Amino acid sequence: MARSDSDARERVSRRTFLGGGLALGGLAALETLGRGWRPAPAWAAGTPKRGGTLVAAQEVDPVSLDPHTNSNFSALQGYEHIYESLTMYDQKMNVVPCLAQRWEITNGGKTYTFHLRPNVKFHNGQPVTADDVKYSIDRVLDPKTASPWISWLSAIKETKVVDPLTVQMNLDAPYPDLLGSFAGLRASGIMPRGFAERENLKIKAIGTGPFKLVEYAPQDHITYARNGDYWNQPLPYLDGMTFKILTEENARLAALRAGQIQYAALSAQGAAQLQNASGITVMKSPNAWVSLHYINVSKKPLDDARVRRALRMAVDTGEVIQKAAYGAAVPSGPIPTGYGDWSLDPRTLPYLKADVDGAKKLLAEAGYPNGGFTVEMSCSPQYPEFVASTLVVQESLRRLNVTANVVQMEWGAFVAAHNRELQTGGKEGGVIFASANTFRPGPDGYIYPYFSSKGTLNDGGYRNPRLDPLMVEARAISNHDQRRSLYVQIQRTLLEDSPNWWWYAKYNIEALSTKLQGYAQSFTGRRIFLKTAWLSG
Amino acid sequence: MRYLLRRGLWTVVALLGVSVVIFLLVHFIPGTIVDILGGGEGQLSPEQRTAVMHEFGLDRPLPVQYAYWLGSMARGNFGWSFRSGQPVGQLLVSRLPITIELAVLSVAGVAGVGIPLGILASVSGSLRVKTAVQVIGLLGLSLPNFWIAVLLIIAASYLFHWLPALIYVPPWTQPWVNLQQMFLPVLSLALGLAAVVVRMTRSSMLEVLGQEYVKVAQAKGVTRAGVLLRHALRNALIPIITVLGLQMGYLLGGVVITEQIFGLPGLGWMLLNGVYQRDYPVVQATVMLFALTFIVVNLAVDLAYTYLDPRIRYQ
Repeated sequence: MARSDSDARERVSRRTFLGGGLALGGLAALETLGRGWRPAPAWAAGTPKRGGTLVAAQEVDPVSLDPHTNSNFSALQGYEHIYESLTMYDQKMNVVPCLAQRWEITNGGKTYTFHLRPNVKFHNGQPVTADDVKYSIDRVLDPKTASPWISWLSAIKETKVVDPLTVQMNLDAPYPDLLGSFAGLRASGIMPRGFAERENLKIKAIGTGPFKLVEYAPQDHITYARNGDYWNQPLPYLDGMTFKILTEENARLAALRAGQIQYAALSAQGAAQLQNASGITVMKSPNAWVSLHYINVSKKPLDDARVRRALRMAVDTGEVIQKAAYGAAVPSGPIPTGYGDWSLDPRTLPYLKADVDGAKKLLAEAGYPNGGFTVEMSCSPQYPEFVASTLVVQESLRRLNVTANVVQMEWGAFVAAHNRELQTGGKEGGVIFASANTFRPGPDGYIYPYFSSKGTLNDGGYRNPRLDPLMVEARAISNHDQRRSLYVQIQRTLLEDSPNWWWYAKYNIEALSTKLQGYAQSFTGRRIFLKTAWLSG
Repeated sequence: MRYLLRRGLWTVVALLGVSVVIFLLVHFIPGTIVDILGGGEGQLSPEQRTAVMHEFGLDRPLPVQYAYWLGSMARGNFGWSFRSGQPVGQLLVSRLPITIELAVLSVAGVAGVGIPLGILASVSGSLRVKTAVQVIGLLGLSLPNFWIAVLLIIAASYLFHWLPALIYVPPWTQPWVNLQQMFLPVLSLALGLAAVVVRMTRSSMLEVLGQEYVKVAQAKGVTRAGVLLRHALRNALIPIITVLGLQMGYLLGGVVITEQIFGLPGLGWMLLNGVYQRDYPVVQATVMLFALTFIVVNLAVDLAYTYLDPRIRYQ
């Protein structure tokens, strides 16, 4: 029977649909978005064929291609095709071998011995050895490098070269998320020894990835060429890729429709405009992006958990999803919905519907029977969804007679204010900050830095003596089920205490020409699987 | 000659003033490169922050930083971008042609279309023509150029199924492709500017056409065209050119948004990104360049007066 590619995707989609993706808000959202949605399909029908250059749109200029020093996601999007690390993710978010063929974890989880894949070459022909791995890891951990993601690898106290293909890492305490830290690629790309001292890594890149860097013209385009010696043959299929930087979504849509580009990431409103477009498929699936508000818990009356919870109760999560994400999101707790089995089932989350009466009662209990106080909320119009969610909160708080002053600032100023708040322990800088947590290498990254008494990203010094030991324990256990039940408990407690307000996990929406096959979305939001894609016709 | 020397001196003074203002402005924007590097999520430890501040020389007192920057500029060294590590001078040189092309084509388009339309509006007897020109003028003034830009993109792709090549090519490599790429951006910039020029031309021409020497010329038997172009326009041009010169400022500002929307890697967008990224060397150098351009353009305008009106002579 004849099957079109989109039928294949639809059939696969229902089966591979990540559990927990359907929720009240999610279902309603799907309906409003009209044409059926297609989460990450495993494979499209058809045989891969070599050749062709993909022309795609990049939404934000990467600015710099250094794989160790950039905090912006667009930099990762730029270098992720070029650099690789010891491990990587597969389509189901399992950590699988990459440059390390296998590894042993010994000494109670404190020693990792990685056996490197033999005969892997860098793009300049140089073979990959343990020295290169040690050099790269050491560079990230060097304070002079100022890597913003140093905390992902800071458990490593020492990296030793055992032999040219074996690296040993000694940790000061067990850290099961270490393997995910390598796969996350934020600060784990492996480069040739001495590379950073010889070249300007911001515009030059030599890695082991499926594509080599041909040219990066800032604010204009990046071009890649196929790495013919890639270790994972027969990948990649594409001969090359060109990413043109198009920050204006209308320009991306126009280029898609004109067939000038075969790939673009879009917002929900943008994707809606492609509803009747022929030759274009739109893929959507949940993404590691939790929209939230950080709360400086040192500022009265937000130091009282009952107040924080009451304010959260007054806001309808479904409304936030509609207004901020145009329905293209699912409700989420601290760990984004869809992250393996670490996240809570969104149907079981509290606060899905507003409960103004309950909120008023709780406020009265806390000593504010008629509200009557003011809170300041900061957001940046460079991320309209954060402004939208903040305004929904402001509107909802009116029902409790609580005033929210919304302060909008440019993103750089916002980041500076938030940093000041973190550095002064909440004394200056602001009270409530609208932002998002993106991908973390494991559940710990969403919990420990923010809510442990020793966490470095703890807004206002949140302390929960019951949770502290649980967080420390959870970050060190390797037994998956035990870890999972700890994180379930931690998340439920955090949702009650509400040191942050969590809203939703946004969909990652990507539009592809039907000519581009074999692509799959990744929960990380990255374009990892362009390496398995090919151009037909 | 003495006039040029004096103008040269004033240029240096003006540039010095601009340098102080932009230096202070940029340093007083909340947030520094340290905040940008740390981003919203990754975090730099206090040691890392100190290291970065030191690497970029941001831990020195402001007057020292200023003096150092001024001294380097005088020697032709514009520093290195905090974000990309590339020499700023090189960045300026590589992006300048794009912005210049955009601005020059826009001015040419405006002059080539706006001035004739303005003349037409001033001499035409037809009410329809006059109203049409007024309406076009009003639309051009009222509609924001970024909105026009997006409309043009949508119209081109939906209605005409046409889009220029995505990757920018310089005019000396492939002139035809380059012109295609410049067409929509220039159009969006020129529409707003044309409105001003059309109105200016019309009112200036009306004033001049009422002068006695025009009647004398007509009495002498000079052809209609001759009267218009040789006698009237040349005198009417003075205020028009003044406006065009001032509009360079508008163009330099409009260029930022237009470049971003159309994805042209020019100076304007580099400046905008530099501000977002708190990339001081890039912002300072680009603004200085814009200031210099503005001053030079206005000098050219002033010198043009002497050609247009022999009565104007500078000492």
